Amino acid sequence: MTTFSEDVLLQVGNVKHKKGEGTLYVMNERIAFILQGSETVSVSHLYTDIKMQKISSEFKTKVQLQLVFHNGETSTFHFIKPDRSEAMRDRDKVKDVLFKLLPKFQKKVNKELEEKNRILSENPSLLQLYRDLVITQVITAEEFWSQHAPKYVPRNVNNNQSTGVPANFLVNIKPQIDGCNSVKYNLNYETINCIFKTYPAVRKKHLEYVPSKMTESEFWKKFFESHYFHKDRINLGANDLFSECAKYDEQELKKELRTLDNNSLVNLSSIDDVDIGEGYGLFEDSSKTTNLIHESIIKRFNQHSISVLKTSKAHSSNSEMNINKNIPNNIEKDTARKHDLPNGNCDTIINYKKSKIMDKINYEDLNPSTIDNCEIESSNLKLNKVEQFANELTKCTRSDNKSLKLKIANSMKEQISNEVLKWSKEHTTCPINPSVAVQALGELTPGGKLMKGLLDDSQSGLLLPPEVSKELQNLYMALGELLRHFWACFPPTTPTLEDKLIRTHDALRRFHSVKLKPFEDTVLREHSHLNQISSHLTLMLNSAYTKYSSWHCRRKPYPS
Amino acid sequence: MESEKSLLIVILDTSLTHDVMCNNKIRMSEYLNAVTVFVNCHVMLKPTNKVAVVVVDTIDCQFVYPDNNLSLTSLRQTTGQCEIFSQVEYSLRNNISNFISQNAKKDILTTEPLIGAACAKSLCYISRLERELEAGKSLNSRILIITGSDNECDKYVRFMNIVFTAQKQNVIIDVCSLEHDIALLQQACDITEGIFFKVPNLSALLQYLLWIFLPDPGIRKKLVVPPPNRVDYRPLCFCHRELIDIGYVCSVCLSIFCKFTPICTTCEVVFKTPTPLPGKAKKKKK
Repeated sequence: MTTFSEDVLLQVGNVKHKKGEGTLYVMNERIAFILQGSETVSVSHLYTDIKMQKISSEFKTKVQLQLVFHNGETSTFHFIKPDRSEAMRDRDKVKDVLFKLLPKFQKKVNKELEEKNRILSENPSLLQLYRDLVITQVITAEEFWSQHAPKYVPRNVNNNQSTGVPANFLVNIKPQIDGCNSVKYNLNYETINCIFKTYPAVRKKHLEYVPSKMTESEFWKKFFESHYFHKDRINLGANDLFSECAKYDEQELKKELRTLDNNSLVNLSSIDDVDIGEGYGLFEDSSKTTNLIHESIIKRFNQHSISVLKTSKAHSSNSEMNINKNIPNNIEKDTARKHDLPNGNCDTIINYKKSKIMDKINYEDLNPSTIDNCEIESSNLKLNKVEQFANELTKCTRSDNKSLKLKIANSMKEQISNEVLKWSKEHTTCPINPSVAVQALGELTPGGKLMKGLLDDSQSGLLLPPEVSKELQNLYMALGELLRHFWACFPPTTPTLEDKLIRTHDALRRFHSVKLKPFEDTVLREHSHLNQISSHLTLMLNSAYTKYSSWHCRRKPYPS
Repeated sequence: MESEKSLLIVILDTSLTHDVMCNNKIRMSEYLNAVTVFVNCHVMLKPTNKVAVVVVDTIDCQFVYPDNNLSLTSLRQTTGQCEIFSQVEYSLRNNISNFISQNAKKDILTTEPLIGAACAKSLCYISRLERELEAGKSLNSRILIITGSDNECDKYVRFMNIVFTAQKQNVIIDVCSLEHDIALLQQACDITEGIFFKVPNLSALLQYLLWIFLPDPGIRKKLVVPPPNRVDYRPLCFCHRELIDIGYVCSVCLSIFCKFTPICTTCEVVFKTPTPLPGKAKKKKK
């Protein structure tokens, strides 16, 4: 106990971990386990390492809690109070505390990881560098991020913008179906938060019922039952816990519809189930009776979207006074402000927007009414030199040449006609002279006169195969980066620079053995004629080594 | 396996105004012989292969095979030749000689063969065959233009429309040029992924035809054929008829000019002054 300066939030005895019995401590930043009779901590996990917790099913005999770590490992704690319900209570206590604590840490870790992931995926060259240097363990990951990639890492890390609610969060709770007709939902803290944000009524219910009237899991079970299986909400069971919520939602929707009524951008009151035709475009079947179920589902989709949008509005309206409160869309607010419109009167804004949109989507010359009224000629292409239009872009033959040709052609047509008539009667057996054919074949085979543009074998041998060229490119990039840091350390005037110099030198050595040597070997094995290809890389490395050793020798006599 | 038919349409230019014919670089009978053998070779490759031949000159263009008027009696084989070959050969000999002797009576007034018209006819023919195709079968069509034409040979806009139609219909246009590098036809080949080939030695015409144009496009990829030339897409300007890299294009009729003119000479549209750069198309204001 004395080894920890942190607060112990929870202490649970009678816990088994890896066959040893002891006590589990839940602390501020970590969870620890001390064996019975032992003074030292045998197991200690930082919350930042923990990905999630799992608990054993209620029907299993063992009461267990499992921690899953980011690296894929797991750790299981077995609660072994003789009384099962007591063990359960212990376990649930731990679970609840962890449930509250974990998201805080998770967010921090996730954000960092995600950020780094994003940076890497956006910069393919950086990713390649990462692969070459970090994964081969030439340098460590921290070194990479601090030394080699600082310009990619954004400075203002501390903008705590709250995440919005993704529109598809309900779909993302992927239920797992086990074999026997039941569905299992895995809810995490964020999803629950999303549900609360989107459906305030559910939050109210949750506060009301949990944990006084029912347990957490019972509540969510009911929620999903009502949300998914009665989604059409036509005949609600009277005893349904969420029927009130539904009514509340309905009212909200109506309120929204009223405010949106004069908004030109959305039209939620017209609910049509329109099929998309086989050809592109829609066809509407007016004769079809409207399906009540379809209508209510569309209505619910709309309502869901409105709720999701509203969560983002709720956030932004806290930070600033918005001009037109009735429009639940941030973008609109922005446009309104940009144009410096008289604030307050939202009708004028909407009209203004309406006219702007109409201006954008209407083309005067495409409008049939204007075409009918105005002169039709103006919309037609008027060509005064049709010949020029159709024939230009082609070279014209010089007229003297042309007339000469016409003369020849006219004079020889009689003769040709006779020749063809003769041809039509007789049958030739030899349409081509064999020697001429062989000559033509020679021109057409690789190396021939007509195949000059193609690379023949002797030429292609001098070129790099694409995979070698790619590899070489990567090697140059990685080595260049390392050498840049190496040479930047000179002259090493401060101890930190010296330290960095030594580290970079080691990294160069490692790079030489881990990356360059294998590359040279493969090249030698597979493309023996390319054996000189890495000489420049080696030269660069060697000059760095020489520089380093000379510096090292000079430094030796005066150890700091 | 045999669900795919391969249709080859040969457009045969017999105009007398070309240098090849004028200067007697190749005899007409040699030329026609080579093409006849080539056409028969295509038929010979596979029983499902189909062929059509359009003959074209500066006056007219006409299908010479398949021939609807072919009488059955003429099909009787005389030389021990396979029926289909003798049918093809008979139609070609007969109809081409008719075509040429007919047109010999007319005056030749222009040097431009009607290749565009022949292409259009071929495309119509292809689309008709495709409509009549049995379900589950597919037709693989290409057009081979054999011409000795030297200038750009046709009305540009009209011909380009045909080329783009061919591209849309997945019809490949190959060109075997007897003498010149014809920019327009090179573009047509490039657009439809066909081959443009200029025959270096006319006496070996048949050999080049067989070697380069006989294989189907699908097989060509696996063969070593002469590398394609770089195609020059530079247009001629309307004002000076010179090749230009960058020019002014009329926003109304798409005429091309090498210098800015305030009024389009083709459609007489008045442009706004180009300061600053003429960014937007002219928009009517009430």
